[in-house]
Amino acid sequence: MVTVAALAATVTLFSGVLRGSHSSGALAAAPTAPTGTGFVQTGTEDTAALVAGLQQRLEASPKDAEGYAELGLAYQQRARETGDPSWYPRSDRALRRALRLAPGNAVAVGGLGSLALSRHRFRDALALGRRSLRLGPANARTYGVIGDALLELGRYGEAFRAFDTMARLKPSDGAYARVSYARELLGRPDDAIAAMRLALVSATDQPEATAWTHVQLGKLYWSIGRVGPAARQYRAALSAFHGYPYAFDALAQVQAARGRLSAAVALENRAVDTIPLPQFVSQLGDLYRAEGNRAQARRQYELMDVIRRLLVANGVKTDLETALFDVDHGIRTGESVTLARKARALRPSIDGDDVLAWALARNGRCDEALGYSKRALRLGTRDALKIFHRGMIERCLGHRSAGDAFLRDALALNPHFSILWAPFAKKELR
Amino acid sequence: MTAVLLGRRKATIVALALVGAALALLVLRFGSGPPAAQAASHREAPLIANDPPADITDFYMFRSTQAGQANKVDLIMDVIPFEEPSGGPNYYNFDPSVAYTFHVDNNKNGIARDVAFELRFTNEIRGAVNSLGLPLSYVGGVPPATGSVIPPITALNSPGLGLRQKYTITMITDGHRTTISPMTEKIAVPSNVGPRTMPNYDALAGHGMYNLGNGMKVFAGQRDDPFFIDLGAAFDTLNLRSPATDMLSGFNVNTIALEVPASLLTRDHHGPAETKQPWLGAYASTSRPEVTVRGEHGQSNSSHYVQVQRLANPLVNELIIGTKDKDRWNTLDPSKESRFLDYYENPRLALALSLVFGAPVPATPRHDLENALLKYGPTDPRYSELLRLNVSSPPGASWPNGRKPSDDVTDTAIQVVGGPAFAGAGDGVSTNDKVLPNVFPYLASPWDGRNRVHQNP
Repeated sequence: MVTVAALAATVTLFSGVLRGSHSSGALAAAPTAPTGTGFVQTGTEDTAALVAGLQQRLEASPKDAEGYAELGLAYQQRARETGDPSWYPRSDRALRRALRLAPGNAVAVGGLGSLALSRHRFRDALALGRRSLRLGPANARTYGVIGDALLELGRYGEAFRAFDTMARLKPSDGAYARVSYARELLGRPDDAIAAMRLALVSATDQPEATAWTHVQLGKLYWSIGRVGPAARQYRAALSAFHGYPYAFDALAQVQAARGRLSAAVALENRAVDTIPLPQFVSQLGDLYRAEGNRAQARRQYELMDVIRRLLVANGVKTDLETALFDVDHGIRTGESVTLARKARALRPSIDGDDVLAWALARNGRCDEALGYSKRALRLGTRDALKIFHRGMIERCLGHRSAGDAFLRDALALNPHFSILWAPFAKKELR
Repeated sequence: MTAVLLGRRKATIVALALVGAALALLVLRFGSGPPAAQAASHREAPLIANDPPADITDFYMFRSTQAGQANKVDLIMDVIPFEEPSGGPNYYNFDPSVAYTFHVDNNKNGIARDVAFELRFTNEIRGAVNSLGLPLSYVGGVPPATGSVIPPITALNSPGLGLRQKYTITMITDGHRTTISPMTEKIAVPSNVGPRTMPNYDALAGHGMYNLGNGMKVFAGQRDDPFFIDLGAAFDTLNLRSPATDMLSGFNVNTIALEVPASLLTRDHHGPAETKQPWLGAYASTSRPEVTVRGEHGQSNSSHYVQVQRLANPLVNELIIGTKDKDRWNTLDPSKESRFLDYYENPRLALALSLVFGAPVPATPRHDLENALLKYGPTDPRYSELLRLNVSSPPGASWPNGRKPSDDVTDTAIQVVGGPAFAGAGDGVSTNDKVLPNVFPYLASPWDGRNRVHQNP
């Protein structure tokens, strides 16, 4: 027994090393984070080193188009890791410089395409993806850019074909994950989980991609109400990538679902401290509100405006997210229909349909809302929030039993689908 | 052979060639770039995925140089670039969702589907790691002071071997599949964690070498990366040196080595001395399951596979094929190489050098490269990018007649691409940092995780 205890102590020590070697601020402070402990790879220092190396290389040879293209992509990875949108204009400049040096550089054009995606400029992304395809006809990632853009433009058949092409050309984490997302949209969560499992094993040795994939897999479990398996994936994400804020955010949802609101608030704060992404801040506000802490909730909601301005200043379009946040939180409700309509014009996806439907419904225009809500569910997606919206619209139109059936469906699918609305749906059905 | 012995101008050119090679090699070994950025709420999967377990760093095929084994041919593929020996707690494993395959052409038609060997791995979490739920793959020799409950890992069934990979080998002859030696349990040798956990790694690795009957042998597990090149000096503004430094010193790879009688590969089933058809062409590949949006589950036992990477001749992917065509090139069968002839006839590297320096490189189109890399001979009408070996050549032949781990392919490539002006040119690193053994599996024992170093002696 003594020896087992000693072993346990060893393991605890190891775990301490695992957890302790990177503080929660490691993501932001990556360039100075120590490397080579041998136990942990965060991956962020790799990107920082890559950026530094490329900058050095470009200082020596300022006409190196490929170098600028790679630098532009590396900046996008930094944005991904830090959540700091000011990396976008830097990426933009590097990629455009690459194109000035080598006008036909497919990598640079593709990079501008993925940058446009990050900034939610989906039509630009599609055009750039297609241009990149003409320059480099067999690059798998270009099909990823094109498919992602088509998806947000509501052109699902074409998007799915692009994903199939990508997966055939080069099966990879990114290709499997896209096929998984398509299957999720088509209302086939089990098949989506199978594809995401393939994505996971293809992401070996890439901490950020592994963590991202674990979180996506967890969210698939979450979407069908399987809280335990979801939580396991989120924890796996944290052990793959220490301090991964998306995992903290997702674990906050798990704790809230289990009724542990203060633990949820603590986790969400860790996510926000690392990267103040709007969805984290908004959820933190919702958690404070659920706790009854109105003042803190308001503080978070006010922060949303600042973050949004920061995103817009760096070229990111945020209309759809803003519209949904406003509608959900009763902010500028009257203007939200106009905003949602504008957002949907830019992004005529099922998400665009859903947000517009919800904005119309919250303004009492349930007749108009119904058509958009039907469109939002036209792929058969098993998305509890969209199904809940539909239920509320049906009830608003006086279709009580149909409405209740949708609410019950949403709750049966995932009893914790929204910190704001799941409790509300339950109350309505009582 | 060392570049510093050359004239200054030539050294510069060689070094520049190396910078190109180094960059390409780095890109290839590290992956071609980072995944795309993630912004607000719409979902963005990583755009580029590095795929180390499917990333083949080198492929070798040669007539055995081991005493008494001259009738054997060895096929070796290395995967997972730049394994940092201390990279715990998971270390390095083969991927259960990847099919690892050697493909052989034995009738000189350029289509390497005459004989193939496919390896598939499965994972098992077992022993103390499983029963105690330890966050480690391997544990052993603990605690040393109190007498250990978990002994060191000295065998492939030791309780501390928490993550264990078993594998199968399937021989595919003209489309017919046969499982080789199914009753022999084959276990991959784990990464070399260090002397406490694995006090006699060489003996442990020895347990992972299996005789499969019919004169066949297999090994799957970690080895020292046998590739050698002085990348650092080339990157440091051509600051070449003597002695040079092997940049891959201190890094490991995962190796699959298969030794088979030559008669199993040749068309007429005769050995090296008797065969009338001594030419073999081969490549190694990794494949992943094919999935489609509308398709079925896409589990890893899916019957359709997509080739993720292929490798025959060294440096072709790095130095010849353009970045924009790499995905397609990797997916295609080597017999489709005629689609890429322009890259061989006008090698970018030689072209750039001659433009910038007016260096005396051979005139284009470079049919010599096509003949050397894509054909069985100048009159062969088919283009197929295969590593070719005449099994009747005496053991010890060097690339491009087969390839042994000790062949200095960087120097050979520079000399071939550069032409006569580059005779004797090279990067100054001519041997691996660890001595390559002359016995199966021909690669050196891996660096251990505790005592890793990254420097040349």
